[in-house]
Amino acid sequence: MEIGPYIKLHRIQQEMTQADLAEGIVSSAYLSKIENEKTEASLNVISMLCTKLGIQLDDGTDEMIREKLQKWYDMLSTDHDMEEMTRIYQELNEVMYDNHSADSLVMFEIHKIRYFLVMGQMDRALSQINKLAEMTGTFDSLHQFYWYKFKGNYNSANNEFNQAMRMYEAAEDKLNQLDLSEDEVADLQYTIAVTHSKLRNTLEAIDYAEKAIATFRVTYNFNRCAQCHILLGISYRRIGMQDKAIKNYNLGKHLGELKQNTQVIQLTNQNLGYLYSTIGENRKAISNYEEVVKDFDVLLYERIIAATSLIKEYYNIYNYDKTKEMITKSLELLDNTNDEEKYQLFQYITHTYNYVINEEDEKFESFVIDEFIPYLKKHRDYANLVIYTNMLAKHFEGNNRYKESVKYYKLANSAYEELVSL
Amino acid sequence: MKKLMTTVALGTLLIAGFASVQNTPNDTAMEVEPRIFSVGQDVSFF
Repeated sequence: MEIGPYIKLHRIQQEMTQADLAEGIVSSAYLSKIENEKTEASLNVISMLCTKLGIQLDDGTDEMIREKLQKWYDMLSTDHDMEEMTRIYQELNEVMYDNHSADSLVMFEIHKIRYFLVMGQMDRALSQINKLAEMTGTFDSLHQFYWYKFKGNYNSANNEFNQAMRMYEAAEDKLNQLDLSEDEVADLQYTIAVTHSKLRNTLEAIDYAEKAIATFRVTYNFNRCAQCHILLGISYRRIGMQDKAIKNYNLGKHLGELKQNTQVIQLTNQNLGYLYSTIGENRKAISNYEEVVKDFDVLLYERIIAATSLIKEYYNIYNYDKTKEMITKSLELLDNTNDEEKYQLFQYITHTYNYVINEEDEKFESFVIDEFIPYLKKHRDYANLVIYTNMLAKHFEGNNRYKESVKYYKLANSAYEELVSL
Repeated sequence: MKKLMTTVALGTLLIAGFASVQNTPNDTAMEVEPRIFSVGQDVSFF
């Protein structure tokens, strides 16, 4: 039974008028709306009405809270207003600890992990995981499904993709014991597809993206469809099927335009730019990257990736004026960042090209040798290590400094071997 | 330095092509997967 009729039933049973019950809590008119389900009262109001009626927060209220919880859970996985999400969270947080079923409470506690992650509060998400870890023995299959999924989300957000995959697989194992909605299943499949893509498990990424998109098409979830197309574009590019990759990117872009989703549109531009860059079509690469850089609605991070990509593209076609322009742009964007570690690679790339283009040989040498190469080694970024050690070796060779040149060619070669064996 | 510029440009292209064929991580930050979360801050950009 819904909470409105449930309150009405108890009020009538106790021979109270609406005015009697409403007094000191809400207006009679508002109570009437609550009873007749014409409005959605706050949990506090419901709680006060129940107290006055002498009703324990029992099944009826639990049902209402379950509905509210479900609404909040849905908000955590779809595009919703963050303020609204926080408001409902606070509301639930106030009432969840008063005589409600342990089942709902556990589920609420598990979903807090996702909430903190969505809000970008990594520390709180980790504390919540640690807090719940002690009671996992009491979890039923549904609890376990979300527990594994959200722990995987935490690992993903922390760039621990192998661990994330283990968690998602554990969640996937629970599916046959549960009767989840097709959207919920597809969301897990999409998440697994993204994680396989991060881990360069290309065929698995295609498999899961195809499974997820089949559902998202039926449920008209166009944003997720677009994201699946982008994943497919990345995957097909990696196995050399460029035409299929381009087709998927364009489908993703089309859906992004349909939903006016700037992030999706520019993500396709960035990835299309990269694709064209790898097949030597610099002009097309530049055109796509330029779209991203000039869009102020795109996240700073994505604009910086595009700006750094443009530095390389212009440099590759010997357009040094535009290279300089992009270096200035990239530095300008980097000035607005506050997470040094996250943007470190782009700082290094931009400064390296800056020294090269300005022919500041000594600065270029010391910067690459003392800072950039150690950074790349530390992060096992062998692809960039090959590029920049090779760049340094060529530089020494051009200056007849053969001993140093050989040293860095050797380093480039060993990085190359690491790259191949990855 | 101009000679360096030319060789670096060629080197970058060669490596991009090579890594593409080998299906290995290649300039990883430049190819960007969509987000896992639909809402809020997705700190998992890489």
